Amino acid sequence: MIDDSLIGQLITALRCLPGVGPKSAQRMAFHLLERDRTGARRLAQTLSLAADNVGHCVSCRTLTELETCRLCANNGRDRTCVCVVEMPGDVQAIERSGTYKGLYFVLMGHLSPLDGIGPREIGLDQLIVNLDTGIIKEVILATNSTVEGEATAHYIAEMVRKRGIKPTRIAHGMPLGGELEYVDGGTLQYAFAGRKEV
Amino acid sequence: MVQMIHSRNHVILQPAYVLHSTPYRDTSVLLEVFTPDHGRIGLVVRGVRSAKSRLRGVLQPFRPLLISWYSKGDLGTLTTAEVNVEEGGGAHLGGRALMSGFYLNELLLRLLHRHDPHPASFHSYDIALRKLVLGDDVTLQQALRIFEKELLQDIGYGLVLDRDVITGEPVAAEGLYRYHLEKGPERMECVTAAHIANTLGIVLHGHTLLGLAHNELSQGDVLQEAKKLLRKLLAVHLGRQPLRSRELYNEMQAIMSTQ
Repeated sequence: MIDDSLIGQLITALRCLPGVGPKSAQRMAFHLLERDRTGARRLAQTLSLAADNVGHCVSCRTLTELETCRLCANNGRDRTCVCVVEMPGDVQAIERSGTYKGLYFVLMGHLSPLDGIGPREIGLDQLIVNLDTGIIKEVILATNSTVEGEATAHYIAEMVRKRGIKPTRIAHGMPLGGELEYVDGGTLQYAFAGRKEV
Repeated sequence: MVQMIHSRNHVILQPAYVLHSTPYRDTSVLLEVFTPDHGRIGLVVRGVRSAKSRLRGVLQPFRPLLISWYSKGDLGTLTTAEVNVEEGGGAHLGGRALMSGFYLNELLLRLLHRHDPHPASFHSYDIALRKLVLGDDVTLQQALRIFEKELLQDIGYGLVLDRDVITGEPVAAEGLYRYHLEKGPERMECVTAAHIANTLGIVLHGHTLLGLAHNELSQGDVLQEAKKLLRKLLAVHLGRQPLRSRELYNEMQAIMSTQ
C-alpha cells in the first residue's frame, strides 16, 4: 500500500539520499518531526536554495553558487599551476592536506569510452580555453588510479603537452605507515616503477 | 548447504578478466567479466566501493584474475577474487595501449553473448593483452588484427585467407585480390588503377592474406590492408552503432597530430 500522507511523502523523499533505505528514511522523518522542527525547516530552506542556485564554476567546473568559485577567485593562489581531479570531493581532500596552493579543474567524472563518456562530457573544451590563456605552466593530473583515471590522465597529458605546457602525474605507491608485505602487487609495481634516488 | 550451493551453480577459481564495471547502488558494482569456460558473464559485487574493500584494486580491467561466484539467473554474485599471480599479475597498460585495451573489451562486449563459452577467444584476448603491454605501435597493431581475426573465427565467421573462393586455387603472395565480405578472396586478373577504383569491396594483396593467415603481419602496408579488411568484416557484425573506444582513439590521434 502506498502511504500518500505527508509523512509518507517525506519518507519517500528522504530515500533519494545515498545509503538511505525505508527504515532509515522513516527514522530521519520522525526525528525531524518529533525532535527538531527548526532543523527540519532550516534543512528544507537550505536544500531548496542550494538546489536552485548551485551551479558549476565557469573556470574550474566545481560546484558553486557563485559564477567563479572562491578558490578560483582567490588572488593568493598560484595561477600557473592547475590540478585536474575527477570530483569536487577530490578538491576537498587535497585542500585538507594543505600541500597545494594552485588552482583546480574538476572533470566531474572520467573518460569511459564503453559508457559513451568522451572528452566533451568531462569538460575538456573548457580546460583547453583555460590552457590557451597562456598563464598555466604546469598541469598536475590527479585523476583516480583506475584504468579510466589513467586513460583520462593520458588523454589530458597529450593535450597539455601539445600546448607546450608541462603535464605531471601524481605519484602512486606505498601508503604512509603501510607494511610492504600487505601492499597489493599492482601498487608495488607502481612503487618500484616510480622509485627515487635517496 | 553443499547441496544448496551446487544447485545455485557455484563456480570456483575460474580465470577471468574484468571487461567493464558500472557502479550499482551505494557501494556495489555490476561487472562484465570474461572467462574461458562460462564466456562473458554479469556479476554483482557487493560492498566493493566502500573504503575498506580490498577488492577495489583487484577488480580492474586488464588484470588476470581468479574469481569465484554463484549464479541463479542471468546475473551472478561474486564471492572471491584474487590476482592470478601465476599469470604474472598483469602489467599496467599505459597510454595508447590502454585505449587499445578498451577497444578489445568493447569488441567482446558487443560480439559475445552472455554465457556462451569461448575458450579460444579468451586465449586470444590473453595473448593480445600481453602484447599491448610491450607498447610499441607495430606490436600493438599486430596484436589487434590477430585478435580481431581470431575473434571472428571463434564466433563462427572465420575468414577464408588461403585460397581463391572462385577457382579454389591457393592464394599467391604477388597477386591482387578482391575480398567478398561474405565469401572470401577472388583473384583480380585485370589490374589497372581504374579497375581497382571501380571494384566493389576491398582490394588487397595476396601477401596480406597470407600474412593474416599465418599471424605474420610485419610490413606496414600489410598491416594497413589487414586493418581495412578486418574493419569492414567487423562492421557487418557490429551493426550501425559506432565503436566508442575507436572514436576516442581517433580523437586522441587527432590531438597528437594537430598543432
